[in-house]
Amino acid sequence: MTGQATREEDCMSQKTRALSRRQFLKGISMAGAASLLPLRLLMPYSAEAATAFREQDFQIFRNACPRNCYDTCSIKTYVKDGVVQFIEGAQESTFTQGGLCVKGYAYPRRVYSPDRIKYPMVQDGRRSGNWRRVTWDEAMDRIAGKILEIKEKDGSLLGLGLTKYSGNFGITNYGVEGMMSSLGYTTRFVGTPCWPAGIDAQNYDLGDMWCNDPEDMVKSRYVIIWGANPAWCSVHSMKYVNEAKRRGAKVVVIDPIFTQTAAKGDVYWQPEASSDGALALGMARHILDLGLVDSDFVNNHAKGFAEFAAYLRENVTVEWASGLSGIPAEQIREVAEEFANADPATIWIGYGMQRHTNGGASVRAIDALVAMTGNVGKEGGGARYGHLRTWGFNYHALLQKQPEGSLGFVGAAGPKGEFDFTKGEAASFTDRTVNINKTAQAILDAKDPALKMLWVSCKNPFAQDFDRPKLERAFDTLEMVVSVEQFFTETVNNSDIVLPVTTLFEEWTVNASYWHYWVGINEQAIKPMYETKSNIEIAALLSKKMNQLAPGSCTFPQDIDTREWLEKEFNQGIYDYLGIKHWTDLKNGPVKAKLASSASWSDKKFGTPSGQYEFHSDLCQQNGHDALPRYKEGRKSFDEFRLLTPHTKFGLHSQFVNFDWMQEFNKEPFLYMHPDDARDKKIADLDMVRVFNKVGELKIKVKLTSNVAKKSLVIYEAWFGQGNDFNVQNLVDDESADMGAYKTGAPGVAIHGQFANVERV
Amino acid sequence: MQSMELPLVLFTVLSQAAIGLVLMNAVRLHAGPDGGNDRKEWTLAAALMGVGIAASLFHLGHPLESYRALAHLEKAWLSREVLAAGIFFALAALAAFTGREKGSPVLVWAAVLAGLSALLASGMTYAPPALPAVNNALPTVFFLISAVVLGAGFASWFAATGSQPLLARILVTALVVGLVVRLTVPCAWLSGSEIMRQTGMAWLGAPLYWVHIALMAACLGVLWKKRTIPVWLPILALAGELAGRAVFFSETIHTAVNIGAPY
Amino acid sequence: MKKKYAFLVDSDKCIGCFTCAMACRNYYHQEKGVVWRHVYPLNEEIYPHRERAFFSLACNHCENPACLNVCPVEAYTKREDGVVVHHQEKCIGCGNCIRSCPYGAPVYNPVEKRAEKCSFCHERLDAGLLPACVQSCPTGALKLVDLATMEPGNHVQFPPGFPKNDKVNSSTRFIMPKVPTMVRR
Repeated sequence: MTGQATREEDCMSQKTRALSRRQFLKGISMAGAASLLPLRLLMPYSAEAATAFREQDFQIFRNACPRNCYDTCSIKTYVKDGVVQFIEGAQESTFTQGGLCVKGYAYPRRVYSPDRIKYPMVQDGRRSGNWRRVTWDEAMDRIAGKILEIKEKDGSLLGLGLTKYSGNFGITNYGVEGMMSSLGYTTRFVGTPCWPAGIDAQNYDLGDMWCNDPEDMVKSRYVIIWGANPAWCSVHSMKYVNEAKRRGAKVVVIDPIFTQTAAKGDVYWQPEASSDGALALGMARHILDLGLVDSDFVNNHAKGFAEFAAYLRENVTVEWASGLSGIPAEQIREVAEEFANADPATIWIGYGMQRHTNGGASVRAIDALVAMTGNVGKEGGGARYGHLRTWGFNYHALLQKQPEGSLGFVGAAGPKGEFDFTKGEAASFTDRTVNINKTAQAILDAKDPALKMLWVSCKNPFAQDFDRPKLERAFDTLEMVVSVEQFFTETVNNSDIVLPVTTLFEEWTVNASYWHYWVGINEQAIKPMYETKSNIEIAALLSKKMNQLAPGSCTFPQDIDTREWLEKEFNQGIYDYLGIKHWTDLKNGPVKAKLASSASWSDKKFGTPSGQYEFHSDLCQQNGHDALPRYKEGRKSFDEFRLLTPHTKFGLHSQFVNFDWMQEFNKEPFLYMHPDDARDKKIADLDMVRVFNKVGELKIKVKLTSNVAKKSLVIYEAWFGQGNDFNVQNLVDDESADMGAYKTGAPGVAIHGQFANVERV
Repeated sequence: MQSMELPLVLFTVLSQAAIGLVLMNAVRLHAGPDGGNDRKEWTLAAALMGVGIAASLFHLGHPLESYRALAHLEKAWLSREVLAAGIFFALAALAAFTGREKGSPVLVWAAVLAGLSALLASGMTYAPPALPAVNNALPTVFFLISAVVLGAGFASWFAATGSQPLLARILVTALVVGLVVRLTVPCAWLSGSEIMRQTGMAWLGAPLYWVHIALMAACLGVLWKKRTIPVWLPILALAGELAGRAVFFSETIHTAVNIGAPY
Repeated sequence: MKKKYAFLVDSDKCIGCFTCAMACRNYYHQEKGVVWRHVYPLNEEIYPHRERAFFSLACNHCENPACLNVCPVEAYTKREDGVVVHHQEKCIGCGNCIRSCPYGAPVYNPVEKRAEKCSFCHERLDAGLLPACVQSCPTGALKLVDLATMEPGNHVQFPPGFPKNDKVNSSTRFIMPKVPTMVRR
């Protein structure tokens, strides 16, 4: 296979090779001399060192990591003889600064992995493993045939569903949604499991989710990292935290787990999970009592502070906050006072923090803490969560028209997710939207018409969706499942057809970050391996087949050039924001947006209805929540231990963990539990245990550590691959978070509001 | 447990048997000519060393390039071991081909010199800084004991009747010394640094170690009252030595396994 | 003045992200099971929180390298700038260096049937570039230093958790990690 051969060739490029004829003859003479004279004086010495590295020996390309990650690295790709030899981080980006991460550096293996899906395949019998190769034509024939069958039976394509999320954030990959639109009105799984509660909260408070430039954290005098673990999930941000510390800032890390980030802070708080709102309110009460509120901000740029202050005085005490969170009252007072006195101070609100039934409310409380101390709109300050300011592309790939006469869903339709850039038109028909965070339930509940077919792209439901046993039952009700993938994941195992898709090196696209302000081009560095195609090429192929079988049934263009489609995404707005003349300027390296200030909201013109920061938000109340950031209780425990399933450093959700390169360093998954709890259960370090709850069970080895709180179980998500049936979703249900529907179309998930028990096996 | 390194087990044990054989020849020579079968003895010595060297080639990734192993005599004990073993083999083979029933003293002493050099070089080769328990003279001592035990044992096949009691005494002494050394050394390691301690635990916990001790003790037990070495005894001793050498390679702990933990 | 290149391992800055380990793999594509750079977690007896402090180690480019001393075919050379280079084409796979290096730097390549190890990316050094691992480190915890000109600072040669061996005189220097104030519930 070409892949294998070129991989071996590329192994040769860096090391000097086996014995040459010249060396052999020299060796013979050496041996001859040696046997006569046991001294090395007469033997010629030759240093066979490799010659110096020369960049001109390679073709250089620019790529951008399209994964769901804060850092969205700019990549410099070194190609020789049409093969990716190695990659590195772009030096031009001060954020990437020449280096990637453990996942990014595994990319060469991803491209050339022997496990990569090479051609379209059909599985005869789901989960049977009886895969056989088919041609693209046959695959499209089956798919198109099924689509037309559904259209015939139902009169619409609402029986066809799309589940897609953040597996690939290359902008042109929104062509998958575009493809669905170009077929008709379909069922869309909307929302996001990731950060919706916080997005809504920030929208209620500030009018948008818009964080400071993370590179300005160096100016901060006080940094609270709350429920985020950048040491694992945003490694490039750590240098800014370190620099702030070096300049004298105090770094406080708040997390139910003693994370790697916590080990690098000055102070570590381990509160009860989901008590963060109470903790923030307790701090707010103390700041209020001390008179350290920034009166200029709360009087001139905010609405409803008096009401909020009254709430604090009547309902919140530091002792109360201490009782709920477990953090000693004097600590709460000390940090609150330091935070309020520091100028500027900032809080990094992590996505893990809001993955609770009260996540949105907690974010609102933390936002309030930042706002009342006057840290909103300050360089080095702010309530940092994320932003979408550099995502102002045309979404040409996304915006396709339904064929004439398409019938669809009638009724109010909200946004299809936080990346839904379609300006909501008032059409008589719309797509049917269901909650992506309750995928299994949504599939089971859908009727009139039922869901018959599912297209899965840029997502791995069986690793990332919840209540895996229920999901399997749900998938079994579907007549056809098509997965667009690179590896045989569990989702692919539960599919009928898999279509092989390109990696970032094999297509043109552009990537932005939701954290920093750099934008990088993604050039096609090598020809697509085997028979892989990019998402939009697949759409074009489907369109061709659809129109062959039923002319006019699909409006998606049938001839795609990914480079052309990349060009179509750029507009003058982006050029101005980046300060470039043309997108080709990005071929010299990534470019940072020209920011008026590193601080968001520096002009204090908020995006709320009142134009001010809203401690009191009518909109929030209208949407079924509290107008104020009042305390909301978290989910009640239903089992002996709290179960937390945060992110592993060795993967990006379900990506990368299954590579042999990665498993050199990450040999197997573990459960982490406190030694005291283990002793009570007669469990020893590295024992095999069974974790179980009402959702399902998991057998896993345990590591004992006090990094984990008592009565808490920690397992890093999500799967492991390579024949290991490890999957945390066997233990996680789909309980909703409070917020998320307003801006992302569906509420979030209480991923960390889970409970389980454990016993030795 | 690390790799047993079977080719090295064979090489070291067999080469030491060969060296021991020649050593015993020299000892008997010193005691006066005894009229034993020198030629057959040389043949066995050459064969043992030859098989040992051949076995060691299986250890190499590229055996056909093994001739280059002589390149670093300046610093590398392994190069010196290869040279000395090679010279020993050449001398033994020469003696086997050209020798008569009685040996030539020159050849014997030359072979002894080469053999002891090889033994010392071996001892130093297998005493690297990475193996703290044996980064000292112990391997040389272990190897010398092996040489004397196996040398005396196999020499009894060729020595004249008059030399048998001498050989039996030498063998008994060597077995006693060997058992004392190989029993007390691991115990001493238990109170050493971390890796020494781990090595001691590994040795004492290895079934093969106790097989080695049992076999050597059995040999001693058999010989205690006798004045001659039974013909099958050297085979038993060989089995014991092979077991012991396997433990030496597989249970001697390397410092790199403990990085990140206290030493 | 002759350079003495060395790695500076700052375990205080190090977040154990394994970027360096994978950057090496990305550059050299080692065979399965063959790892040149490890990220060793520090035991709880040394750093009290499990898997929260690390030593990133490849080859320590010793002053008096065990590998070079024991290699029968002279497959190792020490450059004037301190880099200990392995010339794999000379190696016959005897395993002596693997057995002798106290740090386990040389490892056996079962496909080549020869030893191999980190050679400090010397072809990159000669082009004025940083070693792949050093360049990749997101926190600047792994640095390239010149012992000949390095100021005495907070670094040590033999921290706890690292085998002490004066004879080989390893060049790697370490800065120890710190612990935060713990406020637990």
